Parts: sequence; C-alpha cells; structure tokens
Amino acid sequence: MSKKEKIVVKSKKKVGISQYVLTFFLMLYTLFCALPIILVFVSAFTDEKTLATNGFSYFPEKWSMTGFNSVLRYGEQLIVSYGVTIGITIGGTLIGLLFMSMFAYSLSRKDFRLRKFLSIFAMIPMLFSGGQLASYVIFTSNYHMKDSIWLLILPLSVTTMNIIILRTYVQTSVPEELMDSAKIDGAGEYRTFFQITLPLMKPALAAVGFMLATSYWNDWQNALLYITSDSKKPLQLLLINIQKSIETLLNSRNIPSAALAAMQGSIPQYSATMATVVTVIGPIMIAYPFFQKYFAKGLTMGSVKG
Amino acid sequence: MKEFMRNTWKHRAHVLMSLPVFLVLLFFSYVPMAGLVLAFKNFDNSLGIWKSPWAGLKNFEFLTSSKAILANMTGNTLMYYLIFTLLGTFLNIVLAIAIDQLVFKKLGKAMQSIMIIPIFISYAAVQFIVYAYLSTDSGMINNLFGISTRWYSEAEHWPMILTIVKIWNSVGYGSVLYMSVLAGIDTEQYEAAQIDGAGKWRQILHITLPSLIPMVTIMLLMSVGNIMRSDTGLFYQVTRNSGTLYETTQVIDSYVLNAIFKVSNFGFTAAASFFQSIIGTLLILIANGIVRKVEPDNALF
Repeated sequence: MSKKEKIVVKSKKKVGISQYVLTFFLMLYTLFCALPIILVFVSAFTDEKTLATNGFSYFPEKWSMTGFNSVLRYGEQLIVSYGVTIGITIGGTLIGLLFMSMFAYSLSRKDFRLRKFLSIFAMIPMLFSGGQLASYVIFTSNYHMKDSIWLLILPLSVTTMNIIILRTYVQTSVPEELMDSAKIDGAGEYRTFFQITLPLMKPALAAVGFMLATSYWNDWQNALLYITSDSKKPLQLLLINIQKSIETLLNSRNIPSAALAAMQGSIPQYSATMATVVTVIGPIMIAYPFFQKYFAKGLTMGSVKG
Repeated sequence: MKEFMRNTWKHRAHVLMSLPVFLVLLFFSYVPMAGLVLAFKNFDNSLGIWKSPWAGLKNFEFLTSSKAILANMTGNTLMYYLIFTLLGTFLNIVLAIAIDQLVFKKLGKAMQSIMIIPIFISYAAVQFIVYAYLSTDSGMINNLFGISTRWYSEAEHWPMILTIVKIWNSVGYGSVLYMSVLAGIDTEQYEAAQIDGAGKWRQILHITLPSLIPMVTIMLLMSVGNIMRSDTGLFYQVTRNSGTLYETTQVIDSYVLNAIFKVSNFGFTAAASFFQSIIGTLLILIANGIVRKVEPDNALF
C-alpha cells in the first residue's frame, strides 16, 4: 500500500532541486565515512619508501605489495592470532546465542512464576556495575583466570539488551499455538525449544549473533587486561603490540646505531602495519553486507521495551 | 509458597534453561559489584579482596587530596558524555530524516550501508587510521596544509579530534534505529498534511519529529546510566594513551585502565571506581523517575 502511494507521489511531482542538494550533502557525509577506510587500503598498497618520504596519501607515487610481504613476517603469530580471534568469535557467539535464547524463551513463558525474579536479575547489571577495577581484581585474584581464554568469551556472552531483543521476538513473532501443539504431540520442553522455537527465532538470532560477533571480533580491552601468552593473543591485541613496539623503537634514541641497524629489518613499517590492519578489518567488512538486513531489524526489535 | 514451589518444579526445564545466563551474570556481573567493597579496603594482593583489612574511609581521603586529578577526569568524562550524547543524537536524527526524505531510495540505502561500516572497526585499528592523518612527519593533515603541528602532544586539539572520530564511528549506525521508527509512520499522515497545504518543513516539524520522541527518550535514558563511563577505546587507543594529552583526554575509565597496568594509586582508583558506579546508578534512577512523572509510557521501568 504505502509503496504504491509513494510511487504515485513520485510520478506526480518532478524531483525538485532540493532533492539534489540533499543527495549532495548525503554524498559528502558518505565520503567522510568512507575516506579513512580507503586510506587504510591505499597505504597498505603503497611503497614503503614513498610512504616514508611523501607521507600518507590517496595518490601515492609508487604502489607496492611489499606491505603484505612483511605481514607474513608476523607470519606465525598472525596465523595464531587469527585462529584465536576466529575461535573466540565463533565460540562466543554460539555460546551467547544458546545461553541467551534459552533464557529469553524461559522468560517468555507466561505461567512461569520465577520469571519476574529472573527478568529483574537480568536488568540490574544494566543499571549498576562493579566497573573495571573490581572485575579485574575478582577475575584475577579470586577466580585465578589471568591468561584464560574464557575471560575473552564469558563476560561478553550475555548482555541485557540482547536478552530483551530475543525475548521480545519470542513473545511477538513465534506463535504460541505451534509450541502448544508440539507439546500435545508429546514433545518435551527441550525438544519443543530446540526443534520448534529456536528455528523460528532465526531472524532475531542473526541480528543478535552479528552484533555479538562484532563485539567479540573487536574486543581489545579484555585481551589487553588478561592475556599474556602469545598462543592466546587475539588479533586486536596483536595490533596493539605492533603499535607499542613501533613506539618503543621511536622513543629509544640511545640505542647504539649498530643495534638499531640490526633491528631495522624488524621495525614494523607503516605500509606493513596498514596491511595488517587490512587483514584485521577485512573479514568483518566482507561479512557485513550479508547480515545488514537482519541487524537493522534486530536493532528495531530491541527498542520495543517490555 | 507451596504453589510457587510447585510452579517452579513444573517449570524445572525452564529453570535449567535459565541457569547458564544466571551463572554468567552471577559470576561476571554480580560478584564484581560486591568487589566494590575494595573502596573500603586496604587491598593486599596476597590476602585477596575479602581478607584484606578494612580501611574505613581512608581511600576516600585520597579523592580529596588528589582533587585536581579527580576533577580533571570527571570533568572530561562529563564533557565528552554531553558532547557525544547531544551532538550524536542530533546528528542521528538529522541523518535519519535526510535519508528518509530522499526520493532516490536505492542510493540512500547504499550510502547508509557505507555510513554504518566504521562501527565495525575496533579502536585498536582506528588508532592507526587516525595516526595516518595526524602523524607529525608523514600525516596527511600536516602535509596537506603544509603545517607541522605536533598533534599528539598538543592537548587543546583533542576534544575536536575525538568528537570527529566518534561521529565518524557511530552516527551512521545510530541513525538506523531512528530510520526504523520513521519507516513506521503512516504515509496517510503526510498526505493529509499535504492536502492541508503543509510544506515539507512543516511536515517534518509536526509529524516526523514528534514521532521520534519516544525513541529519543529511551535512548537518552539508557545512556544516562553510562554518564560516568566512556568508550574507553576512544580515549585509550585513539590518543595512543599519550600522557601530554591527559589534560583533555583522560576519562575515569582510561585512568582506571592505566592504574591497573601500573599497579599504582590503588586506594584512589578503588574510591574513584566506587564513586563512578554509584553516581551512574543514581543518575539513571533519577532520570527514569522524572520521565515516569512526565510521560509514563516512555520510562524505562
């Protein structure tokens, strides 16, 4: 209906000048968003010497693939870090989705008396939190979880907002009758949930899952706080380490020149760093278009309070 | 009570299904809340948090003795909260309305997709991008304008830089939410207004903006709870944690993060964290109370 009307309106009126002005400004803003990302890609393919003498530029004098060659210098660590990040992202997203959808489903059972308590229990962390310091002390000195991969997974797996999104979706978009009839047919609670409800929650799961995956992929803070061994270092922490090592080298003027020359080969250079950044942000940008329609929907669902 | 027990037993499957989230929240959210007693303890790492001796209010004396640091970081936290929330909300709405008004729908969608991408780039990576623009010798800004500003050691530029980075990062994403509200407005309302002779601006003023108010209220309310917290990556990563910039870039969260690494000023940090948690919660309760008085439907709880 509304679509048809819009077409009628459009054909009746000529597209005015104001529409072109609007398009122009939106284009400008789009450029503002895109240019920094383009710069990463351009400098990743810029010749290192050109970059060092001319600085960063969208139109480098000389292009080169050497940046990516030096990415291979971090070779092993980069592969390990990729493995860690992918593992955490997939594992964490699946765990988070499973935990939260079971919880959301239980909360949506109307005659479940305990659900009031459980909803409040899940709401409070949104209003009050212990903060970084208390968490850090508890996790390291009480749980002894320093350098545990679980600290990268569990704390991020459950968020109140996502629980609300999932619960609202079960309440509004999964027909109660389907679940009732499954139970009449003799399916137990668990079968009903896993075979009827969960498959029907797919759009909400995709939306929440993508947001969860992004927060796992981009998490640097927990890694910086807790992870010490190289074998558990995710990509974001690797990026931070690269930056730190550039900084120490730049700041240490009093290193003997012979030592500096020997190290020259291992100083991470700009184009190499940008190439690493490309390998880190690339996958998310490739995955994003596939999830875009779901996640706009998911955001909307989350805004329905209840 | 007996009935409650029976009901719970009947729903034992649901109890079991709720258990994982219950446990995660208990151990990773609730226990750290109890950890706030740190503020009243003289923390000794070998004794642990519960067995460390009580310190009374001694830690809070640090707050008054290091007044300058506390005032600076609290001031920065609040300043950035205000800038980001007010300017951010305003730009989210402007962008949402602009895309919604555009008649070239396909183009609008494509542009919006690009505008959302920055939110998916972590600050650990954004930091390198900002450096490419601001580096003293090879940065694009200095080269372009032929200047040699030392961006990473001149604090006065950073409120603007951080605001630009934050807008770049989050406005496209933020507008999606408002767009979905706009998509839900009945087109008949606009047509009726058109027949009555209302122009585009009047329509926006009288139909579009009022329909956004509930969403704006909810989003603002949810953000009030985070008034004392910051997007740590922005202040810690993007500034390269540069000490000379602290005057304008140190927020409570980045101070705490630094204190954890340096294992310094523990008492002060604990007291500041406590203060941060309590103020945040109080503010959200007050704000929610006010909203509930004025417009009960828009309140959070």
